[in-house]
Amino acid sequence: MQKSIHLKLKPDWKEIEPIRLESSKFLEGHRFSTDTVNALTMIVSELIENAIKYGFFVQPEGQVSVNIQVGRKVITVEVSNPVDSSTYNNLKKLDRTIQWIRGYQDPFEAYLDKLKEIAKKPIADEESGLGLVRIAYEGRGIIDFFVSEDGLLSVSVISSFFEREAGR
Amino acid sequence: MNTKQFVSNLLEIAVEEKSESINVCWTGKSIDRNPGKFITPILASVLDKSVSGKKEIILDFRKLAYLNSSTITPIIKVLERAKRGTIRVTILYDKSLKWQELNFSALEIFITEDKRVNIEGL
Repeated sequence: MQKSIHLKLKPDWKEIEPIRLESSKFLEGHRFSTDTVNALTMIVSELIENAIKYGFFVQPEGQVSVNIQVGRKVITVEVSNPVDSSTYNNLKKLDRTIQWIRGYQDPFEAYLDKLKEIAKKPIADEESGLGLVRIAYEGRGIIDFFVSEDGLLSVSVISSFFEREAGR
Repeated sequence: MNTKQFVSNLLEIAVEEKSESINVCWTGKSIDRNPGKFITPILASVLDKSVSGKKEIILDFRKLAYLNSSTITPIIKVLERAKRGTIRVTILYDKSLKWQELNFSALEIFITEDKRVNIEGL
């Protein structure tokens, strides 16, 4: 069985759902439980949403790429997108958010604090900022990132959300 | 009985006004980039009707297949507004679905002592 899948999409919101479905199909093929498939597909979705929102896509070949790798004990999801100096503040924010999540022993506590923070914001403020902390909490994911010399941001999540169907 | 249906992309929200409550049933997937643009006006209208008609709001997510994190924001805002006011809001979710259990049980931080704002996994 194929251990990994590599998908590419244009930075277009409409392309997320087909990738979600394809990712689910790949994971279902590994006979993970429905809960695990849902959790991992959520991770894929949230990372792609961030890539499209905060990436730098001027060149026509600019794409978001998605890698899902099934290991023996963990599953790794990596989503990459081009960035440039104009997205530097977004990278700083990404770094701060990851460090903030790591500051909690239990990501559930970070998630609750984020919910409380959102509740205090005005109704017109639609930004949630929940995506990464949701990945840490709901997807049991450890998040990291790096930027390559050619300006490609890769955000990776190692998830231990790993329940296979009995008899696999 | 008065039911209105609202659709955006893969999400359908049915608002059913009953004598004692306003039931808001969520079906499908909430995957829009800015889901609040669709959801917030619906929930604002439901809140107004709840106040004027003194009816409980029931937000029923049991048939929802997925929501992105941006969808959680308008839901939280409703709970916070309910918490500060006098209206009654109950969230129903399917506790047999792990993703629903994890997402909606976390909203228990908004439950009031008198259960005027309540979260129920069924």
